[in-house]
Amino acid sequence: MKSTNNNNMASHGLTYEGCNFFRQRLVLSTLSGKRVKIRSIRSKEDEPGLRDFEASFVRLLDKVTNGTKIEINQTGTVLFYQPGLLYGGSVEHDCSPQRSIGYYLEALLMLAPFMKNPLKATLRGVTNDPTDPTVDLLKLTALPLMKKFGIDGEGFEIKVVKRGMAPGGGGEVVFTCPVKRTLKPVQLTETGKIKRIRGMAYSVRVSPQMANRIVDSTRAVLNQFIPDIYIYTDHMKGANSGKSPGFGLTLVAETLDGFFLSAEMSSTPQGQGDPMLPEELGRNCAKMLLEEVHRGGCVDSANQSLALLLMTLGQQDVSKVLLGPLSPYTIEFLRHIRDFFQIMFKIEVQKPLEDERKGGDKVLMTCVGIGYSNLSKTLK
Amino acid sequence: MDGKVKEQKKHQKKHSGPKAEKKKLKNQGASTEDDERKRNPKAFAVQSAVRMAKTFHRAQDIKTKKHHIPLVDRTPLEPPPVVIVVVGPPKVGKSTLIRCLIKNFTRQKLGDICGPVTIVSGKKRRLTFVECSNDINTMIDLAKVADLVLMLIDASFGFEMETFEFLNICQVHGFPRIMGVLTHLDSFKNNKTLRKTKKNLKHRFWTEVYQGAKLFYLSGMVYGEYQTQEVKNLGRFISVMKFRPLVWQTSHPYVLVDRMEDLTDPEKVRTEPKCDRTVSLYGYLRGTYLKNKGQIHIPGVGDFQVSEVNFLPDPCPLPDAQKKRALNEKERLLYAPMAGVGGVVYDKDAVYIDLPANHVQLQQQDQVRPTTELVQSLMDTHAALDVKMAASKVSLFSHSAQLDQEEMEQETRDGDGPQEERVWDAHTQRERRKVVFSDKDQEDEEEGEDSEEEEEGSEEEEDSEEEEEEEEEDDQVSSFLKEARAKSDAGPTPAKKQRLEGGRGGTEGVEEVPAFADSEDDLEMSDEEEETGRGGDSGHCSEEEEESEEDGEEEGAAEEEPVESEEEEEQGALRWKEDLQEKAAAAFLRQQEAAPNLRKLVYGSVGEGTGTSQEEQEEELGGLFKVSRPQKSRKVTSDSLDCSHFRPDSSHDWDQEEMLNSIRDCFVTGKWEEAQDAATLLKEDEDLYGDFEDLETGETHTGQTQDQDQAQDTDEEEDEAEETVVRVDDDERQKNKRLEKKRRLKERFDAEYDDKDATYFDDLKEEMQKQAELNRTEFEDVDDETRVQYEGFRPGMYVRLEISSLPCEFVTNFDPHYPIILGGLGSSEGNVGYLQLRLKKHRWYSRILKTRDPLILSLGWRRFQTVPLYHIQDHNGRHRLLKYTPQHMHCGASIWGPITPQGTGFLALQSVSGIKANFRIAATGVILDLDKSVTVVKKLKLIGYPYKIFKNTCFIKGMFNTVLEVAKFEGAAIRTVSGVRGQIKKALSTPAGSYRATFEDRLLMSDIVFLRSWYPVTIPQLYNPVTSLLLPAGEKDTWSGMRTLGQLKHDLGVRNKPNTDSLYKPVVRSQRRFNRLHIPRELQKALPFKSKPKLQQAKGKTPRDLQRVTVIREPHDRKVAALLHALATVHNQKRKKASTAQHSKHKEFLKEKEKQEEAKLKRQKEAKKKLYRVMGQEEQKKSRSSLKGAPQDD
Repeated sequence: MKSTNNNNMASHGLTYEGCNFFRQRLVLSTLSGKRVKIRSIRSKEDEPGLRDFEASFVRLLDKVTNGTKIEINQTGTVLFYQPGLLYGGSVEHDCSPQRSIGYYLEALLMLAPFMKNPLKATLRGVTNDPTDPTVDLLKLTALPLMKKFGIDGEGFEIKVVKRGMAPGGGGEVVFTCPVKRTLKPVQLTETGKIKRIRGMAYSVRVSPQMANRIVDSTRAVLNQFIPDIYIYTDHMKGANSGKSPGFGLTLVAETLDGFFLSAEMSSTPQGQGDPMLPEELGRNCAKMLLEEVHRGGCVDSANQSLALLLMTLGQQDVSKVLLGPLSPYTIEFLRHIRDFFQIMFKIEVQKPLEDERKGGDKVLMTCVGIGYSNLSKTLK
Repeated sequence: MDGKVKEQKKHQKKHSGPKAEKKKLKNQGASTEDDERKRNPKAFAVQSAVRMAKTFHRAQDIKTKKHHIPLVDRTPLEPPPVVIVVVGPPKVGKSTLIRCLIKNFTRQKLGDICGPVTIVSGKKRRLTFVECSNDINTMIDLAKVADLVLMLIDASFGFEMETFEFLNICQVHGFPRIMGVLTHLDSFKNNKTLRKTKKNLKHRFWTEVYQGAKLFYLSGMVYGEYQTQEVKNLGRFISVMKFRPLVWQTSHPYVLVDRMEDLTDPEKVRTEPKCDRTVSLYGYLRGTYLKNKGQIHIPGVGDFQVSEVNFLPDPCPLPDAQKKRALNEKERLLYAPMAGVGGVVYDKDAVYIDLPANHVQLQQQDQVRPTTELVQSLMDTHAALDVKMAASKVSLFSHSAQLDQEEMEQETRDGDGPQEERVWDAHTQRERRKVVFSDKDQEDEEEGEDSEEEEEGSEEEEDSEEEEEEEEEDDQVSSFLKEARAKSDAGPTPAKKQRLEGGRGGTEGVEEVPAFADSEDDLEMSDEEEETGRGGDSGHCSEEEEESEEDGEEEGAAEEEPVESEEEEEQGALRWKEDLQEKAAAAFLRQQEAAPNLRKLVYGSVGEGTGTSQEEQEEELGGLFKVSRPQKSRKVTSDSLDCSHFRPDSSHDWDQEEMLNSIRDCFVTGKWEEAQDAATLLKEDEDLYGDFEDLETGETHTGQTQDQDQAQDTDEEEDEAEETVVRVDDDERQKNKRLEKKRRLKERFDAEYDDKDATYFDDLKEEMQKQAELNRTEFEDVDDETRVQYEGFRPGMYVRLEISSLPCEFVTNFDPHYPIILGGLGSSEGNVGYLQLRLKKHRWYSRILKTRDPLILSLGWRRFQTVPLYHIQDHNGRHRLLKYTPQHMHCGASIWGPITPQGTGFLALQSVSGIKANFRIAATGVILDLDKSVTVVKKLKLIGYPYKIFKNTCFIKGMFNTVLEVAKFEGAAIRTVSGVRGQIKKALSTPAGSYRATFEDRLLMSDIVFLRSWYPVTIPQLYNPVTSLLLPAGEKDTWSGMRTLGQLKHDLGVRNKPNTDSLYKPVVRSQRRFNRLHIPRELQKALPFKSKPKLQQAKGKTPRDLQRVTVIREPHDRKVAALLHALATVHNQKRKKASTAQHSKHKEFLKEKEKQEEAKLKRQKEAKKKLYRVMGQEEQKKSRSSLKGAPQDD
């Protein structure tokens, strides 16, 4: 690849330090067309440079784009990324088992609607682990959220073909997404009340009874609030069960206005830390859901940044969305959005009234979209 | 004309005859007959349902065809001036027309039309006139920004090529409004030819624009000007004209520059005349929102990143809203800095007095004259204005006393007006370098919004530019902090500052809420809280706060307090005591909540780069006061785990009942709001529909409200003595309730009756309208400084863009006659890549275009030269390279060029220099696709010759050179010229590159074998922007880029030597002879007779002796034979008849039999049916009885 060739004629790109918020930077760079240089990645550590999972992420970006230029120095402490056009199509990727597929899928969700061809990504690796949002969570929350922005159509889904737990992996997920030219502006200011709670308790390579034990303990906590709770159990066997044992729970609370708040928990990976009892896991997960409800908003904390991005990329209209307290990740994302798109959000804190029992402070985010249109989609 | 007009004969009514009778009948009682539907109902009856459906469908089709996709209305409330481009060939009267129009609107005369001229034409409209010279570059640029085009046509000459070229440019780049103006009509002496010419020109114009396009006639000149009445009419047309939004214009911000200032350090220019210049450009922002630090393209110069954008007060504002019809003389403003009108222009940090050497201005002379000498002297010396000012004493106006800089600053500080402030605000750079931290500087800091802005801006610049300098500065900063601390201890500073703040409060009208607190920290905190609460002007305040925090945390703490308290005292010693308790309570609450200002948390201080200077300053302070900041933490955790999980707050214990209670209402089982609660809703419904009378029983049910009302009434009557306030309140409540009820009823009614014919289209339209409303209102009450950060700069604002690295030729060769346009670029439009276009050679362009000949494209904002490859799509989707564009057909083209959204139109030229006689636009088209890779292929035929032929197998050589090459092509299809197909099988060892192939038939040694393959072509990466604006004045229309091969050959005198093989020679073909076909005897034997070679001789005539004799019967015998023949015939006939009869009889019999069979089957079926029914019933009975015991769930 020609390194001297500068595809951007005016801008000088952006420079960052450190590997934190790696995905945000690359994703926003790809969407905005601005190149990015990330310096001193783990330069002070014993193992300097990019880790496997980051390298794998960069490779995935290279697969879904066309004409991307990536330069990494010898030690891997400096990354230069010049984005190409989002191409899409059928992509297969073996994700690094260091991070779960959710790590990769979160980024793909942001990019997929703006591809040239509809994306069909087959991702292999760890489907569920405690650090990242699991595939099930994204399936239950991110997809309905994206539908609010007009990203909908045939074949918009995440399918868990095989489940693979943390250290070993061996799971497989198929993500398909149609292509959109423009997004709709949204006004998501009313959360509505929670009408039902759904969930999925999964277990692989352990006794199927585990899932049932999780369900019971979870119901015990949540039944105080609402009777309409249904938690499916999903026990995968044989070839579909991946390489490591484990279990976990994903909970989703659906509101009357069609918003989803979620919480999840996975068992600690085999051979890392203390094992966890399924009852304890169920209880804790239920409490996490309550915490999420306490935070409230129309978008749950895991998808805040996705919602904000889709607002930014909307038409030049005002979009509003009510969020719970901003997570540190989201705050950084907002800063990055300002760097890449020169968009600032109007942030208003909505305090609950005296006698209201609706959890904590909410944040109303307002912005004017940049009028982004999918440049790669072919005109017919 | 003679005064007496000949009287016309009047119409005479008929009094008799058929016509009169008809009329009479009609007047009398034909009214019953006049309705045709009644008179002839049959004619209007439904004849055919199909036809009716057809007509209905057609009506619906026509209706829906009228619909356009509804778009959100994004037009700004105060739109920028309308750009009116005056186009036409030279000497047609463009400048005269502009001058006349300006005189018509503003009563001012303008000499030379240099650059855009902006005027206020009415209460709601401003106009910008631009004259378009005859250069095609200018025409292209202006067509992209024009709202209205005044197309001048010399009627005495007719249309000129430029006119059509401009129309074609317009068609490609979105069609602005076009109005034709015919001039030179006074040259026609003959009235008839005049009329004819007018008509001809009008119709030609209509075919080009649209049928019925407005064409104006300017009949003649009076003293070198057009006739006043005609100009007035034209002006009226312009000022009421509506404009259509054009796609490109509405989706990109752009500025038509009306002022340019070179900001480069004069010293640098002196030492290095070719250095890159820093230039600020001014103009009204149009199109859409402009983001700060965005990328722009200047057509004719190139792509640049804007280093800074500010908005300035409107130099040509619309009059204030007043109820009157016309503008007064003061409001008829004229703004044309490039033409030297506008006199003194203000910038945020300087004042410019612009006087071109050739200017003559009668009206403004009085104002300008005294300053002229000053200006001339300033213009002569190329030193920076403020440097000069610092050294010298100047008088701005002859009557005023002389001022020196300090005094002026003093003046500004006192705050008489924003203009002066802007003039003498010091540069931050200079301020920073000066170590002395005087109170003056401090004051500067808190002076006005503009100064704040500017400081930040330059701080940002520094952040990005000079990292090393920061380190040095740190020391400086620390030293000046110390000084500041000392000063604050000294005392007098706060007092002075307080006075200043008071003054500012007075002028700006900002109501400062007196803060109440018991300690320093509290005050600080509450101040912050206030910002959160106010929201509206929080941007500005937080800035200030941040500034002070940053520059010295302890300084802020020590100093702010006395300032604030003293301010309170000034505001009135009594006032602050008023609601002491409440404030104390409020402060306490605020402290309790301790909610961080999220905006500050997220974005840092407003508009401030998260640069290194801040961080390093923090570290400087770190020893004493640790400021917990997200930036700081980020620095530390720059290598931490990248995870979107939001860990739950550990303080929430979800085992406790109160925690659980805090979210009870989030569930449907919790308490509902008043407006949504099912019980209240039900009750309201009852209120609405409560009144009804049961007709059967005669009972009357009354709604509850009625009762309540009555009760209320009686109550009120009884309790006359009750307090009036309460009653009024009650009344109000009742009224509201009634209103609410009414509204709900109406809503229901609307929903019931309107929704029936409300279509999808109507819904969509309504949705768009709602969105537009929201867009308008959302940021309405936010002040401009903050709003600009949320939305970007609004169209309609007067903005100043600073660009830091423009080539020096832009300044040195600046010619105001050529328009400068700043076109904003979308998010990835600053990149280059491969583009696929659909292109059609213009039908008026005389030649076809050749692949790889450079072409100049006008695409988006840009004009650039590139090398296109033309191609066409085959049926299987392959893009096959073409050598030339087809004559009258679209073809594809691939280029290396700037990424531009699909659907954008473009036009192509072969050269932009000089004026040639024929039509210059070579091709037009549209962008289809953007891709980073190319898929164009060209056909490549590899040729080989057989050197050994077996039956169907051949050895072929000469196609490849090595075994490896053959291996690549194993299995590929090959063909001979004569059409025998075959396949490559395997490489042979010798000779190298030969291979074995099989064919469907035996080849001849004379056959030529070829392999048809497709070879991907690479597109040359040439992107060469047309830099016409950088050329010296007078040569701007002579830009020439890369030459075509043909031009090069022509210029260098190189002649092509054709390949001798390609030359045509007479074809000499020798007669081919074929040997006789020989079939072996063995084979002959095996052949069937038909295929056997016929060896027999042809039959000759039979000899006479072998011929038989003819028999001639006797007459008797003949008779007998005839009889026998007759008898035989009769017999035959009889037999035939009998057999037919027999047949028909048998058929009937069969029919009968079938019928019987059918009847039998039917009987059997019925019997079976009966049986099954009985069986079924029985079964049902059985199952029912068994279900009876089980519970019924429904």
